[in-house]
Amino acid sequence: MITERALMRRVAEGDAQAFTELVSRYSARLLTFAWRLLGNRADAEDAVQRALMRCYTSATRYRPDWAVSTWLYRITTNICVDELRRRTSRSALRRAAESEAGNGQAVLLPAGDGGPAGPGRHLDLRRALARVPREARVLLALRYVDGLSYQELARVRGISLNTVKSQLARGKSILRAALKGRGRRRAPAQAAAAVTTKGAER
Amino acid sequence: MTHESTVTHDAIDEMLFAYFRPVPAGADLGRRVLDRLRDRWDPERFAAQVAFEASGRGVSLVRPGGRARPPVSRAAKRLIDRARQELFDYLEGRRAFFSVPVDFSSARPFQRKVLELTHRIPFGETRSYSWIARTIGLPDARRAVGTALGRNPVPILVPCHRVLRSDGGLGGYAFGLDMKSRLLGLESSTPVLEGCTTTGIVCRVGCSAGGRMRDDHRVVFATVADARSVGYRPCKVCRPAA
Repeated sequence: MITERALMRRVAEGDAQAFTELVSRYSARLLTFAWRLLGNRADAEDAVQRALMRCYTSATRYRPDWAVSTWLYRITTNICVDELRRRTSRSALRRAAESEAGNGQAVLLPAGDGGPAGPGRHLDLRRALARVPREARVLLALRYVDGLSYQELARVRGISLNTVKSQLARGKSILRAALKGRGRRRAPAQAAAAVTTKGAER
Repeated sequence: MTHESTVTHDAIDEMLFAYFRPVPAGADLGRRVLDRLRDRWDPERFAAQVAFEASGRGVSLVRPGGRARPPVSRAAKRLIDRARQELFDYLEGRRAFFSVPVDFSSARPFQRKVLELTHRIPFGETRSYSWIARTIGLPDARRAVGTALGRNPVPILVPCHRVLRSDGGLGGYAFGLDMKSRLLGLESSTPVLEGCTTTGIVCRVGCSAGGRMRDDHRVVFATVADARSVGYRPCKVCRPAA
């Protein structure tokens, strides 16, 4: 199998076949990442397509000291985060919430494995994730969609290793509190606030 | 899964892995991206054709093509060069605001009011003709607003393309309706805040300090607060927090 850096070199030379090969290696992970962040498939597809367009047009500026995956996630994350910014303004917020609610069924993953992660659990998790601050949520998505290492996460978001660790820990404890809070009727906001004072302000 | 084995697993990890398990994308995604690239439009050629005129105080005329009068002074020439560069960066998706000054002095008072208000519509947002009419205190002047914007001497710099009909229709545009929707599309895919990974500073996209940033040092943020939460500080030149 041809290495990814070699593939990137061919993409930079305008090799369309190398490009489709690269896309097929990453499309599922990039799409899932964007989908879980943006909440619906249509916006996710558009974001991923734009990211891949950028990847193709700036392939000549790709520097081999980057792992191809890290570089692709950086481009895709930049586009998704900007899309999230757009939603924080005006009615877009409501529209996104609606489309997510409408897509509820589609967002659920195949639940045939019968494990602890049934469809109901996904719904809970999605609600809980909505409480996690944006930067931590992005890191969680990158971490769990492709198992990126702390170093890779730090590079994708341009932050320090310690920030990666504290953001992930903070995100997970907010999730834990939110999920537990639902079961035991404990106010999750309280738990989240307790964590905030530890991790956020430096 | 490819995560490190040192990570201790708990129920939350399991849920997260399941939630983020990759869903297959369409097999023809690569081809669709290549198709989209094929009908891309060339901003460089467009920016080179645009004709600018300027007084010493600011840009006074932007036209899609044709000849412009030669710059009246050295200051005017500098403004024109700057406007052309900013226009090019904007069309390339590397600029979310224009800093070059605009000279409204040739406009009559009513048009001037309309243009000044339009000038303040934020990047990536839109307003309606009737919103402009209401805001300048002449709610019945919708049509006059349309006419005033139709004769906008400095389109793009004064973003009359961000003004639409109340029913969502595009209205009109001096550069053509295709261009109007292209600019709106461009603005909805250009980031507004970016941080530099080496300096840890977050800027508005297009900031003169951020222009020296290398491409692989750019990270996009949704808000200044987000950037702060992971250790970035706002730029003192472009002041994104303001």
